[in-house]
Amino acid sequence: MEMAEERLVYLYCVLDKEPNLKEIEGSENGLYLVCHNGLYAVTGKVEHLEFGEEGLKKNMADFQWVKTKASMHERIIEQVMTGAPVIPFKFGTLFNTEGSLKTMLEQYGEEFKAILRKLANKQEWGLKIYCNSEKLKTSLSNDEAEILEIENEIKSSSVGKGYFLKKKKEELIEKTLNERINECGQESFELLKELSFEACINKLLPKQVTERKEDMVLNSAFLVSKDEVNNFLNMIDTLKMHYENNGLLMDCTGPWPPYNFCGLSGGKKQNE
Amino acid sequence: MNSVMVKSKDVTLLEILDRVLDKGVVISGDLVISVADVDLIYLGLKVLLSSVETMEKLRGAPFAGPMQEAN
Repeated sequence: MEMAEERLVYLYCVLDKEPNLKEIEGSENGLYLVCHNGLYAVTGKVEHLEFGEEGLKKNMADFQWVKTKASMHERIIEQVMTGAPVIPFKFGTLFNTEGSLKTMLEQYGEEFKAILRKLANKQEWGLKIYCNSEKLKTSLSNDEAEILEIENEIKSSSVGKGYFLKKKKEELIEKTLNERINECGQESFELLKELSFEACINKLLPKQVTERKEDMVLNSAFLVSKDEVNNFLNMIDTLKMHYENNGLLMDCTGPWPPYNFCGLSGGKKQNE
Repeated sequence: MNSVMVKSKDVTLLEILDRVLDKGVVISGDLVISVADVDLIYLGLKVLLSSVETMEKLRGAPFAGPMQEAN
């Protein structure tokens, strides 16, 4: 064997129909296909210095680098998936050689084919719900009978009694707020799940990451049959109409590569 | 017409990182470089823990509180 490869094989996605890479823009690395047993792996050559263990560690601390490369990863997969269903791989899935990539395709080939069959004619959509607590509290104070009742009582109470009633009111608002948030998240997820082939709930991201002033209260993903996408989006609209005036904001995006619905079986869970 | 914003160039970086760094098929644990037969380098373990931790690290911003899990 020769000396270690200077370049690594970066895997973007796998599909079972030959994609036309000439139509794909945005890769500075030059995409090429690795084919094995009826599967097509969309790959690019990357420098060991940049994506090798040491290089990657360094580069992952460079936000601009991550932003550029992660966006490119996404853009390439998105373009490939316009032609046929794809299995998207995680950012930074690298092989030393084409040979090792083929070995992997051999090992997981049947499973990949089964996943691709499942994905045919389906799209991934995402729904994140954010809560503007102040707005929701205001709407609760105006709508909730129990809260209005206390409010009226406060008006006709002495200062001392009023103080305790106010406290009670605050607690009640807080409790109702949480109930409303849970109801909204649960109802939205269940209704959309019924229109989906599969659905999952992901972890919530904190404000430092989202850079929004509202709290994220639901982070969910849905695998939707293309025939149902219109109904799915109409349901999102219905939920928006129902909830957004009360400070519960629906942020729906898609179609995405099916990042959330390509889990391999056999204990090789995603994100573990 | 529905008002859902169909994904386009203006989808936030957050949405991309939330998927690209955190989801997608992961082949096999966390081997780093050259196992005898499958010399797969999956640089997962320490480097790409999760999008949240990654971004947190990148921003140098501490977590304000414990993460809530939905449901």
